[in-house]
Amino acid sequence: MDFAALEDIDGVRLTWNIWPNSKLEATKCVIPFASIYTPNKRLPTMPVLPYEPIPCKQCNAILNPYARVDFYSKVWICPFCHSRNHFPAHYQGISDTNMPAELYPNYCTIEYTLPKTVAPHPPAYVFLIDTCVSEDELGACKTAIMQAIQTLPEYAYVGLVTFGTHVHVYELGFTECSKCFVFRGSKEYTSQQIVEQLGMRGGQQQRAGQPAGGPAGPAPGPQRRFLMPLGECEFTLTTALEELQKDSYPVVATHRPARCTGTAMQVAASLLGASVPIGSCAARILLFVGGPCTEGSGKVVNRELTEEIRSHKDLAKDGAPHFRKGKKFYDGLAQELVAHGHSLDIFACALDQIGMAEMKDAVMLTGGLTVQTDTFHNVVFRDSLKRLFARDGEDGFLGLSSNATFEVIPSRDIKVAGMLGQAARVDKKSPYVADVEVGLGGTTTWKLCSLDSETSVALLYEITATANREAGDAQSNQQFFLQFITRYLHWTGELRCRVTTVTRRWIDGTQIGEVITGFDQEAAAVLMARLATHKMETEEDFDATRWLDRALIRLAQRFGDYRKDDPQSFNLRPELSFYPQFMFNLRRSQFVQVFGNSPDETAYYRMALFRVAVPDAMVMIQPQLTAYHFNGPPEPVLLDVSSILPERVLLLDAYFYVVVFHGTTIAQWRKAEYHLQPEHVAFAQVLAAPQAEAKEIVRRRFPVPKIVDCDHNGSQARFLLVKLNPSSTYTSATPMSAEVINTDDVSLATFTEHLKRLAVQS
Amino acid sequence: LGAAGPGQPEGVDPATLPRPVGEALERALVAHSPGDPANCSPDNMRMTINAIPVSTALKARMPLPLGVVVHPMADEFYGRQVPVVQLSSAGIVRCRRCRTYMNPFIQWTDAGRRFKCNVCAMLNEIPVEYFSSLDQNGRRRDADERPELSQGTVEYVAPADYMVRPPMPPVYFFCIDVSYAAVASGAVATTAAAIKACLDQLPGDERTLVGFLTFDSSLHFYNLKASLTQPQMLVVTELDDPFVPLPDDLLVNLRESRQVVEALLDALPNNFAGTSVVESAMGPALQAAFMVSSHIGGKLLLFQSSVPSLGVGRVKNRENPSAYGTEREPGLRNPDDPFFKRYAAECSRVQITVDVFAMSMQYTDLASLAAIPRYTCGELYYYPGFMAARDGAKLTAEITHNLTRPTAWEAVMRVRCSKGLRISSFHGHFFNRSTDLLALPTCDPDKAFAMEIAHEEGVVQPGFAYVQCALLYTNSNGERRIRVHTMAVPIVSELADMFAATDAGAMTAMMAKLSVEKYLSSRLDETRQLLHSRLSGALKEFRIMNANAALRTPNKLIFPETYKYLPIWTLGLMKCAAFRGGAKDVNADERIAVGHFLMAGGVEAVARLAYPTAYALHDPSGPWGMEQQDGSVPVPVGVPLSAAVLQDGGVYLIDTGRVFVLWLGRSMSPQWCVEVFGTDPLSLPQDTSAVTVEPGRDTPMSNRVTTLLRALRAGRPLHQQVFVVRQGSPLEPHVLPYLVEDRSPSTQSYTDYMVSLHKAVLAK
Ligand SMILES: [Zn+2]
Ligand SMILES: [Zn+2]
Repeated sequence: MDFAALEDIDGVRLTWNIWPNSKLEATKCVIPFASIYTPNKRLPTMPVLPYEPIPCKQCNAILNPYARVDFYSKVWICPFCHSRNHFPAHYQGISDTNMPAELYPNYCTIEYTLPKTVAPHPPAYVFLIDTCVSEDELGACKTAIMQAIQTLPEYAYVGLVTFGTHVHVYELGFTECSKCFVFRGSKEYTSQQIVEQLGMRGGQQQRAGQPAGGPAGPAPGPQRRFLMPLGECEFTLTTALEELQKDSYPVVATHRPARCTGTAMQVAASLLGASVPIGSCAARILLFVGGPCTEGSGKVVNRELTEEIRSHKDLAKDGAPHFRKGKKFYDGLAQELVAHGHSLDIFACALDQIGMAEMKDAVMLTGGLTVQTDTFHNVVFRDSLKRLFARDGEDGFLGLSSNATFEVIPSRDIKVAGMLGQAARVDKKSPYVADVEVGLGGTTTWKLCSLDSETSVALLYEITATANREAGDAQSNQQFFLQFITRYLHWTGELRCRVTTVTRRWIDGTQIGEVITGFDQEAAAVLMARLATHKMETEEDFDATRWLDRALIRLAQRFGDYRKDDPQSFNLRPELSFYPQFMFNLRRSQFVQVFGNSPDETAYYRMALFRVAVPDAMVMIQPQLTAYHFNGPPEPVLLDVSSILPERVLLLDAYFYVVVFHGTTIAQWRKAEYHLQPEHVAFAQVLAAPQAEAKEIVRRRFPVPKIVDCDHNGSQARFLLVKLNPSSTYTSATPMSAEVINTDDVSLATFTEHLKRLAVQS
Repeated sequence: LGAAGPGQPEGVDPATLPRPVGEALERALVAHSPGDPANCSPDNMRMTINAIPVSTALKARMPLPLGVVVHPMADEFYGRQVPVVQLSSAGIVRCRRCRTYMNPFIQWTDAGRRFKCNVCAMLNEIPVEYFSSLDQNGRRRDADERPELSQGTVEYVAPADYMVRPPMPPVYFFCIDVSYAAVASGAVATTAAAIKACLDQLPGDERTLVGFLTFDSSLHFYNLKASLTQPQMLVVTELDDPFVPLPDDLLVNLRESRQVVEALLDALPNNFAGTSVVESAMGPALQAAFMVSSHIGGKLLLFQSSVPSLGVGRVKNRENPSAYGTEREPGLRNPDDPFFKRYAAECSRVQITVDVFAMSMQYTDLASLAAIPRYTCGELYYYPGFMAARDGAKLTAEITHNLTRPTAWEAVMRVRCSKGLRISSFHGHFFNRSTDLLALPTCDPDKAFAMEIAHEEGVVQPGFAYVQCALLYTNSNGERRIRVHTMAVPIVSELADMFAATDAGAMTAMMAKLSVEKYLSSRLDETRQLLHSRLSGALKEFRIMNANAALRTPNKLIFPETYKYLPIWTLGLMKCAAFRGGAKDVNADERIAVGHFLMAGGVEAVARLAYPTAYALHDPSGPWGMEQQDGSVPVPVGVPLSAAVLQDGGVYLIDTGRVFVLWLGRSMSPQWCVEVFGTDPLSLPQDTSAVTVEPGRDTPMSNRVTTLLRALRAGRPLHQQVFVVRQGSPLEPHVLPYLVEDRSPSTQSYTDYMVSLHKAVLAK
């Protein structure tokens, strides 16, 4: 099966595409039954219907092509609950020659436009800027923000909050002079206090009664003062930005500046919450931060430089005094943002950690975007920020939509265990909730405050069928269905509902050979990557390597071809052949090997992993290496040191960065500038092609990856080398435990050898 | 001896009563000639009785207070240069024991190598650098070259050991109410414009610092960093726990940040135009202002337009007529909340003077608020129901005077007196830091103080006693200076000498200050009783002393020549707004404002308030109101303050030092009316509250009137507004209390008072 092609149609990947029809057999499959779905995927051929969907009166599933329709009696039978539903009155004209679009077999994914329940409001952005950075950094940050603002439409609402020792909320509606409200960085405020102190008491209530309709009617009263249409406050805003100075409180050499990031976020969240009615628009807080929070709520580290910022080691042995308290604060903040449907984006530009690990869930739960780099001068920051505001049709348009409610409806015998993704749980009773909870569980409805066209959520299922089910109607025994319903505020301002209905086949679980044909190795690898990192964060003393290895061995045991205790006989079916390699790279990746990274870096990588769809996640897990040479078109090559050749240019796409690596000979020629000579056009092409491909990668990816251009022996070459399989290093002869491939940094070959040996063990 | 008083008490002829009017007033205010030509000017120090009784026994016979009225910066008031003693290698030579400064009364011994302290009699060596040989009279040969040896008032340039820190620059921090009332009344606009107009005249040149804080229901700080193109307003809404939102740039160098400061002052009225905030967080604003300038000190000018309603120090309406006449009454004149005194003490500690401009329409509990200027040597300006159209000129002039007058910074004052004597009490606006050290965060020429002198022992050495006042301060140029006034006072052994040496003006000032002190702890009637009983007590002693004369004129009140005006000034004090009547007679805030004025004022200011000067303006004869060659402006003929004297055809100007009242007789001259008001008397409204004499109308009479007003106002701390009142109009009763000689429902006439004084003197 070509799973990627299927994904292109509906945005859905399943770890397994044929499901055993018994709970017992299902557990033997080792890899969970799961879907990875991209609810806002850009589907150029998807129809958008100008009317509302027809729900099943029994289970609320939306009418779809799999419904059996009796055109004569105008009745449809729900494929999920088998209820008979009458078509509503305005469907009386339908017939098999006059079908509504949602019944077309190829429209398994379709969108409806919904009537608005809340008066629409233009998108709102609160710029939250750290002033505890050097003048130079602040200048770079301001420049980038001012450039970004210029690309915003005039009707977009903007707000400005800056922070250092204290929090400054700018009243952009005040034009007589620069004016801001100041909140004490060290003080804990409730949202209500903040709103009252800003003089916005009761603002939300006043707005509730406002008549709907008409685009963006001016907000009455004091709300206008802090968040305003850019067109009305551009001068005030740019003046404020231009005059924005570094936090003026003195900092002694032995201290960090007093930076009240947490309090500032609380203020920004409260301000935004009180300024725009719930569900009316895409509303984002854009945090620009250049160091750790050292003051007030959400503190990451004390001001004394003698105290170091927590490392993974500190976290592991509970030696991070502020971590729990800080995380608790940001988690609380996340709940507040989620309640309003607002999202938090973090642009962390610092050599130091800023507390991303603590803030992670505030981003994850709100579907925010993050960019983490070393300085505000970095092009990764500048271009990513630009991309956030790119409009439809422009390069790098993210397709940011908002205020999504995502719901899944499964067929009978399928329950929903939970979600791993950038979303927040919605407390809503559902008959489809599994007993065992994974990730965001206990519900079948989630909220996605923000989602771009890549945002992908993983859902885990539990198969509850027993093997000797009563024979029901034939279809239900052979097919099962999953329906994903996403109601959201489209970036155009329309309220939309996207419905994706997929069907797959049930099978007797003992038919291993059949089951394995439905195995999606990539989807499985990505799912295992999300699950492993989730467990690392939530389960105490969780050993991810061991857990992944054990799953791999059991999978090999179950689905491999071999004779017991004969490693040489071991053979993996093609449907499984890449999976060990994926696991090999996953366990070496930054997602599992945290100790080389800071907790902030780990958090950053994991957030990205939880956001993107399968193909991009695969690049993160197993970077793609492409070789450019004189003998033909570029070709993918093994992620192995043996791929380095003097006359090759290698292009490594490691998702967060892209390396263009020139072999020794190529490097010499390039230095000699042969490519500038007309007789060496071919060489020039070999040089240009990977650069062009790198640019193409940059163009479509968020955050914008860093590009490393290096030669074989250059210092930057380590960016490539670190990702390569160390095939040429010595093979370790370390003894192995019973079920774990005991490797430190073994080659893929050694890893596979070990796997074979353990898989065939009786 | 004493001049004969009025004849039959029952049939007193009012015409014969002595009045401080016209030239008589000028004479009355002149101090007794100093006991020694080397004395400091009486403008600086003036004894209530220019004679120290030799013994406690003698002093006990004098019921009126013995003390000194000190006006340490009177030289600036009168525009005189003080001789400066430059810093020398000998340092500042002082008595080793009592720290008295060198002065003309020092006695030299041992051929000039030692001196005997005129205050404590200690024999002191002098530094060799300071040596000079003596002449045949024992006078140093260099005495005439050294001002400290020849003049009663000198100023030393203080060396570093007179500083606890580098001399501070002039600091002006403005704390401005911008609530609805403040904006609507025009107070904000007037204040901002007045401050802006003064920026070039603020003392201190390039060192001066300024800062601003505005407040309504929240506090607004202003970042005035010189590099900004516009001020940045920082709003803090936490009133329970106000904090300063910036570490610097809230108090800035005026010269460097001039443009931003001007931008702010231009923007201020607009910033709050259309405000609907009626709340006023005055207390938190004061706390915040304190935090901004506490590291350096200086002046804090509070402009309060609304009733303080939020945070610490908010006003409760506690004015309660039923408390009058009870022991709860004095409490009404003291701060309600301990915040005020505590705040004042903190300000004094960090060298902050607070000036209050109270402009509220309603009761603002000035009794509480006034405690802050009281303990920090500050001013209390009162503009009930301020309206810019009516009161703008007054506010502007008073801000201007306040900001541009010479000012002494981070000052302390000490008064020493000769062995056997001591200062027993201090009266004025200061914080008493230790037994005899008065902390004056700032001082200026408008401030006077009074000290009572008591005997340390039973008897003092005959001859002369000495009083020395030293004001240690930083001038606006950043120099630490010590201004020293020294005075010799003869010691007398006869009661008669004390009567003869009584200075009625100084005595009135002293009594006024004692009475203000008294009304803070006693009822008003007790306060008036104090005034009355001390005067009558003294006259009784005088009558006993002159038993023979008294026998000859049993029905006559006899008093010494020096006491001629004491009865009317005493009566005037009793009738002034500070002490008059009860709850319904004077509004509570006005009473406090006048009390503050009396406590701060010098001799002239107190005397003028006690018995205002009235001029007849209808009589065009003479050169009054015309500026002379020398720049002086003659005044018109003075008239007594009695309705009986005011002619129907006349026009009179009453000058109280706080206001001018222009009283128009029923049948005033139409021509006068046209010249001054541009209309004839028939067209002039009965309600003259909107009628003004200024600006002038460029007619002869109008020019004379305005010139006269300008001349009378010159140099005074308050800008007196002119209230025009027509005889017999409904407004007239408001000004009748200024007619001190007349009876009113709650006060006695001059004649009545003389009778009751006489009765008291005769009483057993
Ligand atoms: Zn159904
Ligand atoms: Zn002495």
